[in-house]
Amino acid sequence: MADATTFTNATQILEPFRGIKRVTIEEYFTSGHRTCQGCESALVMKLMVKAAGPRTIVLGSTGCMYVANTTYYTTPWVVPWMHTQLGSSGSAALGTAAGLKSLMRKGKMKAEPINVIAFCGDGGGADMGIGAISATLTHKEYNSLILLYDNESYANTDIQLSGLTPYGAHTTFSPPGKVHRLIHRRWKKNMAGMMAAGHPECRYVATVCASYAVEMMNKVRRALTIGGPTFIHSLDPCPKGWDYDPMLSHEMGELAIETGLFPLYEVEDGVVKYYGKTKALVDGRPRKPVREYLLKQGRFAHFTEEDLAHFQSKVDEMWQQWEIPAVVPFRRVDATKAALDVK
Amino acid sequence: MAALIVEVVYRGIFQKNLAARIARGIVLSARKSGRWGIAFGRYGDSPQRNGIPAKDFAIVADTKEELEQNMARYEPKHTDVTIVLDDTLGKGVESWAWYGLQPINKLTVAGGTVLMTSLRSFDDLLKDIHKKDEPYTLALIRAKASFSGLWVYREDHTEVRMLGALARVAPQFLTLDGVCEAIREMEWGSDLKVASARKAFDRLETRPVRITEGNPEVPYSFEMPKWWEMREGVTIPAIPVGKPKEAGKGYVPERNPYFKKYTTRTMRPVIDFDTCVKCNLCWISCPDSCFDVMPDGTFDANMEACCGCGVCEAVCPVEHCITMVNESAFDDNASQWEAWRRDKGAYKTWLVDTIGNKKVTVRSHGFRFRGQYEEELKQDLDAGGVEITAGIPGENAAHKTL
Repeated sequence: MADATTFTNATQILEPFRGIKRVTIEEYFTSGHRTCQGCESALVMKLMVKAAGPRTIVLGSTGCMYVANTTYYTTPWVVPWMHTQLGSSGSAALGTAAGLKSLMRKGKMKAEPINVIAFCGDGGGADMGIGAISATLTHKEYNSLILLYDNESYANTDIQLSGLTPYGAHTTFSPPGKVHRLIHRRWKKNMAGMMAAGHPECRYVATVCASYAVEMMNKVRRALTIGGPTFIHSLDPCPKGWDYDPMLSHEMGELAIETGLFPLYEVEDGVVKYYGKTKALVDGRPRKPVREYLLKQGRFAHFTEEDLAHFQSKVDEMWQQWEIPAVVPFRRVDATKAALDVK
Repeated sequence: MAALIVEVVYRGIFQKNLAARIARGIVLSARKSGRWGIAFGRYGDSPQRNGIPAKDFAIVADTKEELEQNMARYEPKHTDVTIVLDDTLGKGVESWAWYGLQPINKLTVAGGTVLMTSLRSFDDLLKDIHKKDEPYTLALIRAKASFSGLWVYREDHTEVRMLGALARVAPQFLTLDGVCEAIREMEWGSDLKVASARKAFDRLETRPVRITEGNPEVPYSFEMPKWWEMREGVTIPAIPVGKPKEAGKGYVPERNPYFKKYTTRTMRPVIDFDTCVKCNLCWISCPDSCFDVMPDGTFDANMEACCGCGVCEAVCPVEHCITMVNESAFDDNASQWEAWRRDKGAYKTWLVDTIGNKKVTVRSHGFRFRGQYEEELKQDLDAGGVEITAGIPGENAAHKTL
C-alpha cells in the first residue's frame, strides 16, 4: 500500500519553457469571457493553464475570474473548472487533491499525476481565504497550487478596498475628500513573504507578474513539478480599479516591478532567489521612482507631493531595512544585535 | 397625461459616471420643469467592465401615479429617446447580461429619437446602425465620445450638452429653463455648463430616418438553452482545444460561442503582416486570446474575440506593425490576414491609408497621466477637446497625436 501512496504523490514533470517561441501553442483558457478591456487577470488565467497543460483541474473562488468568465451557462475554459466559495480556495485545492488521490488509490480512476490549481483574488485569498490557504500549505502530502491573482481591490463588485490595496488608493471605500485626503492609510499585506515564512514544509512560494509571461509560466511549472502544496502571488494591473487606459496594462506591470514596489522572487525549500528585473535591482540597478508608477493611475490622482514622498520612503524601507530585502519585513539581524547591545 | 422614457447607452466604466450624471440630471430637470422623474441602472449590467456596453434609464412623468406605473417594470421595453454616448455603439449593443447582438435602436419607439454624440456624418453612421421597421429621428450632438475612468472625471460638458439637447427633443416634458436651473443647482454644475446646455439646444442636428435606411445585416443571435436542457449540478461542456489553421499549420483556438466582442471594441488592431517579425508578443500578451496563429507564423486578430484594449500595440516592438484604429473606420469583421494573402499590394494600400489617417487612429481611451484631461480640454471644448496622447507618451505617442 505504501507504494501506491507514493505513486499518487508523483507530479507531472513540466520543464521550463526555454523562450517564447517554445511556449505551448494551445489555449486552455480561451476567448469569450466578459472581463474588462486589458484585463491582466484574464491573461494570468490564460498563461497559468497554458503552463499547466491539459491534465489540469482548476478551481476558482468567487471574484472577477469567476463572475466575468462563467456567466449563465457559458465558459471560456478548456480544462475542467469548478467554482468554489469566496474564502475557500485553500479548502477546495486540498479537497480536490485528496479526492483524486483517494479515487486513484481505490482504483476508481486511472492513476496519473493531475495538476490541481485553485485561484483566488486578493479579497478571496488575502482577506477571507487566508486561513484555509495557510492550512492547505501545511498538508505536504497533497499536490496543489494556490494562485492568488492580486488586482489590489474587490474589483468584481466595483472596487472596494482589500487587505492588498496599496496605501492611499482611491476605492469605493476610500474616496478622497476635502477633510481627509487619504482614507486608506494601511500598507499592503506582504502575502507571499508571509506564506513563505509561515509554512516551513511548503516547498515553493513565488511572486509573478504576467507582464513577464514566460517567467510567469515557468514559475507555475516549477510549482506544479516540485509537489506538495505551493503558493504563487501574481500582481495584476486592473484598468477598471486603478483607472488607467487599458492599453497600459503591460506597462503598469513592468513599472510595479521596476520601481521595486512589487518584487519578483521565488522561495524554493527555504532559499530565496530573486529573478528577472527584480534581480537586476538587487544587483544594483537603480529603482525607478514610484511616482512614475503612481502618476499614471487615476486611483492616486489625489496624491500630493508629500504623499508621493511617503510612498517612496515606505518602498525604500522595504529595500533598505528588511532582513531579506522586499521579501520579509524583519529587520536585519545585525541591527537587532546592535539594539540588544545598547540595552 | 404622459411619460417620457429615456435610456442612456454607454461604455461600461469609461462612461459610468457620465451616464449617472445624465440620468440624475434628467430627473432633476423634470422636477424643475414641474414633472416627476426617476433614474436607475440596469441591474444586469453590474458589475460593469471597461468597454462593455451598459445602460441607465430615466423616466419623466406628468403625475406621480404615472411614474409609479413605469417604475413597476424591471426595465423599460420601449424608450422614447435612446441616448448614445459613443458613436461606435451604433454597431449595436452586447451587454454582458444579454445574449446576442442588439441593434442600438431596438427599444426606440416609432417616431422616437436616437440622440448621439458624434463627429461623423448621418450617412456614415447609418452604415452602422441597423435598419428598423419603424421610422425614427437621428439627432446628433457634435462632440467626441467622452471617456474617463471610475475616479477621475473628464469635465468636457458632455452631460449638460445631452440635457440641453433632450430639452429640444422632448420639450413637452423638459423645458430648457428647467434644465438650466437644474444644472446650476447640481454639485457639478456651473454657469459655464448652463451656457453649454443652451448651445447644445440651439445646435442639435436632426435627420428623419426612413425604414429603408440603415445597416441591413442580421444581428448575431443564437438560441439560449432551455431550463430542461440544463444538466445536473449546473455542469456545462468545456470548450474544445482548437485546431491548426490549415494543412496542419498554425493554430485557431475554439472560442466561447455565446459571447462575441463585436460591440465591446472602440478600437481594433490593424496589422502589417509584411513587417511582422513573428516575435509572439502580441499573441502571448492578449488577455482575450484573440490572435489566431497563421500558417506562416504571423498572427491575425480575430474580430470575434478582440475587445480592443490595445495591449498588442503597446507590446509590439515594430513601429506601425500593429496600430489601433477607431472602430468606426470598419464596416465588417473580416480577417485581415486573408485580405493580405489575397492581394498584398491592395492590402498595403489600405493599411497605409487607414493607419495614416490620424482622425481614425486617435481615440481617447481613459486616464494616461495626471493632468491629461485638463491639457486636452484647453482647446476645442465644443468638440470634446483634443486627445493629446492616444499612443504611449515617450514611446509611440508622436505619430498618433493630431
